[in-house]
Amino acid sequence: MRKKTYTVAALFAAAALTLSGCGGGDSGDSDNTVAEVSTDAGSDKAATVLDKPFEKPDLVLTDTRGKEYDLREATRGRPTLVYFGYTNCPDVCPLTMNNIAVAKKQLAQDKQLSQAEKDSLRVVFVTTDPERDTSAALGKWLKGIDPDVVGLTGSFDTIQAGARTLGISIEAPTKDKDGKVTSMHGTQVIAFSPKTDAGYVLYGEDATVDDYTEDLPALIKGAKP
Amino acid sequence: MTSRTASVAALVLAAALALAGCGDSDSGGSGGGDRHGDGLSVGSAYMPQPVSDSMAAGFLVIANAGGEGDKLSSVTSDLAGEVTLHTTVGQAMEQVKNLDIPAHGELVLESGGDHLMFEKLKRKPKEGDTVSLELRFTKSDPIKVEMPVKSATYQPPAAKGSSSHSSHSSHSSHSSHSSTTSHH
Repeated sequence: MRKKTYTVAALFAAAALTLSGCGGGDSGDSDNTVAEVSTDAGSDKAATVLDKPFEKPDLVLTDTRGKEYDLREATRGRPTLVYFGYTNCPDVCPLTMNNIAVAKKQLAQDKQLSQAEKDSLRVVFVTTDPERDTSAALGKWLKGIDPDVVGLTGSFDTIQAGARTLGISIEAPTKDKDGKVTSMHGTQVIAFSPKTDAGYVLYGEDATVDDYTEDLPALIKGAKP
Repeated sequence: MTSRTASVAALVLAAALALAGCGDSDSGGSGGGDRHGDGLSVGSAYMPQPVSDSMAAGFLVIANAGGEGDKLSSVTSDLAGEVTLHTTVGQAMEQVKNLDIPAHGELVLESGGDHLMFEKLKRKPKEGDTVSLELRFTKSDPIKVEMPVKSATYQPPAAKGSSSHSSHSSHSSHSSHSSTTSHH
């Protein structure tokens, strides 16, 4: 039974990949097609709910104030979004973080959630470029997005190992002969449940403000979006 | 059980539709920019308001109505000391010397794909501002572009609701395939 469910999920993933692979076909018509498929398959939009959730990585790093931050301890029992990126990234990293920040701001208008529930959300940005992203650099950058976001830096090996337990593969930044540094960002945002502390939902780069705005209330309760 | 079978059937159908949709990459162009007969035209330009005053990204579409390919070779701007061309390879960005603009096709610079990177900013652009650029090409004359600064989470209308990570190829927005099959 589980096996079959898994097969269906795989098929859906394959269909989704095929669709997104088409890229430029963004007419309203093709959008409708995507929506229909999603509904039929019992899944929808940006969120991918994992059958086998990830354990929260045992990351002890340094936050934007230069203080030690133990991810497991500091976010235990709290809904938590984690993303791996770097600040010298003009496109995907700030877009991802801004999408989450804007959605989080919009939570203020949510009438279903208590203030305590809204305040329980933690958003954590872990740098993949710790050499350039010092505590101060992270703090300055995150201030331009949302000062409440926790920014973490530390040894690259520790960060890489933590990311790997979440299925995120990052390589150390490389420097070319002109001194230009190339860094890598993670491919997804992982949502951890306040109930189990497990990473149970993934969001890809294409997740929008609306996707996060729609899903945050469920994520805050540890429910499936 | 029945419902699962139905889902699978729908998926197979969807995959087939998607494949059909991929087939028609004609040169209609969907850049939405100004067109002056043959040659290059630029549309859909925007810059998401950057987080800091150290760097910014810019996106645009260059359509080529002509029968000869060209290359975007350099960019200058009043905003930045340096503007470089980047392509996204997997999870990393790589600086490139030029970007191809195929004959009867488009060069699409978009979030998650190829983009302009502005460094050594002279000011921090704010939503509502306009940034002036000059694009230079291997063959064609330079083109001046006024690039509006949009919100940090702005999505161009064409990219809304679909992931469009394939650059360099043009797709017609309203292909007969997708408009007929989507009603099944």
